[in-house]
Amino acid sequence: MVNVGDILSGRLARPVLDFLTKGACIAKKDAKVYYFKPQIFGFGILIPAFVYLAFSLGREIPPGLLVPGLVSMVSLFGASSVEAISIAMEKQTETYELLQTAPVSTAGIVFGKSLAGSAFGIVLSLCTALGAVLLSQSQMASPIMFVTGIVLGSFAFSSLGILVAAAARDMPTANISLTALRLPMIFIGGVFIPVGTLAPGLRLIAYLTPLTYMVDALREAMAGPSVALAVDLAVLAGWFVILEALAVVVLNRRTQL
Amino acid sequence: MENAIEARALTKHYGDVIAVDGVRLNVPKGEFFGLLGPNGAGKTTTIRILTGLTKPTSGTAKIHGLDCVRDSLAVKQRIGVVSEVSNLYNEMSAWDNLMFIGELYGVDKPTRIDRANRLLEAFQLFERRKERLGHYSKGMKRRVRIAAALLHRPEVLFLDEPTSGLDVQSSRLIRSLVREFNREGVTVFLTTHYIEEADQLCDQVAIIRDGKIVAEGSPEKLKSSLEREPIIEIVFDRDAPDLERQLLGEPSVKEIRKEAHRYQIRTTDSSTAITDVARFASSSGLQILSINTKQPSLEDVFLKHTGLDAVQVERMELLRTRRAGGQRG
Repeated sequence: MVNVGDILSGRLARPVLDFLTKGACIAKKDAKVYYFKPQIFGFGILIPAFVYLAFSLGREIPPGLLVPGLVSMVSLFGASSVEAISIAMEKQTETYELLQTAPVSTAGIVFGKSLAGSAFGIVLSLCTALGAVLLSQSQMASPIMFVTGIVLGSFAFSSLGILVAAAARDMPTANISLTALRLPMIFIGGVFIPVGTLAPGLRLIAYLTPLTYMVDALREAMAGPSVALAVDLAVLAGWFVILEALAVVVLNRRTQL
Repeated sequence: MENAIEARALTKHYGDVIAVDGVRLNVPKGEFFGLLGPNGAGKTTTIRILTGLTKPTSGTAKIHGLDCVRDSLAVKQRIGVVSEVSNLYNEMSAWDNLMFIGELYGVDKPTRIDRANRLLEAFQLFERRKERLGHYSKGMKRRVRIAAALLHRPEVLFLDEPTSGLDVQSSRLIRSLVREFNREGVTVFLTTHYIEEADQLCDQVAIIRDGKIVAEGSPEKLKSSLEREPIIEIVFDRDAPDLERQLLGEPSVKEIRKEAHRYQIRTTDSSTAITDVARFASSSGLQILSINTKQPSLEDVFLKHTGLDAVQVERMELLRTRRAGGQRG
């Protein structure tokens, strides 16, 4: 049981530091091994680019809708693809077992992997945001909150990728399942169509997906700090914690046979 | 002597299947211990429980007094695990793999560089350390895998079929280096289907069948337990199809087996059996090219307890490896 006394006396400092350094070590390795896989380029970059072009070409999309939607979609596909592919490959090649036999908990492994996935999503989203803002000459009232939204969203999406791949039997199943989750999310999550204009049933589902909160957070950040922005960021952080915890449980169930 | 590995009533169920059934093990510190058994006997499940990869259904397992379930992280820090598959990252070089493993086990940078250099030299891989592992042969990958398991200086090293499917040179190098690390004090827990390998390397062995330990002790002790049943090995100048029919009725002869061009006779009294064989040869017009009494081997012990000989075990392993497909390397 963690108590305040432990935290104040620094007794927790060592395990926490250990957790963070081992997580960073796994993230560095994942960046080396998986960032340049062709599957990442396909599922993380090409698919969102085609989807966006297919639905935006020939339509007048105001910058206030374009930038948050595009950046959120890039974050969703980028961050979730890296770790979905990494977990599926590690299970297949049994390198996951190498991590399991090391002195690092499943939570530590999942944290390290979500660091790698989110870093990929953050860099990709920031580049996209920079290009989109410059091209559309959009106003950015709160850049720090905008970046915070990208960071929290990318962490949540990375954990989503881990969770789906943890539950999937193999890589094709992981990719198909993740795509089947992501595509509906972008249609109801405010990327192309504002959530407020959706039918009540769809709107309810929209509020149950993390993408909705990221799109909204980025939109609010472009307009200026607000209570809604704080709520969006808190919900994204909550999604990250929930998805991370679920990923740990599912990975333990699937791999500690 | 204090035990490095202890298991008490260790049991693992997969649904209705009992993979490990009340296993009890005591492996003293510094010992070279071998767990032998045919495919599906429970070797890998036992090793998976001891290394914290699987939770037992019941019973306890301890490494240096630490519980494998409750203190799993502390246990993992003290052990090195080499699974049957060389599960390192093919996309990274041998060097980068070792650096990653060292960092994961909390070995500081100067120490892991120093140890990686020494281990790669010892495993004859130093010159090719910067090459991607994907370009390595199976034997080289296995050597890197063992080097990686030793980088954090484990007190107990688990080796699951370390030389399975490797070339003679790699197998010999691995055996000699593992023996050397054992002499330096590392406790080694080996599972192998190469019975001769276990005979050469192990101080103690246990034979597992249907999840239960059916025999244990030093290879010499186990072999001597069969000494009441000596074996005579005979080579005739040609095939002797009537041997079994004519000699099996003799009171001194218990069993006759043919292996390649050799006949093996398990007997209760070797001198009477030799006389019987000589009489049979003379009456059948056969010439005896060689005759000798054979000391029981560990394979004989294995055969007695599992009903399988080395060739059958090898065939089973081969089928299993083929079924596992291209993932192995």
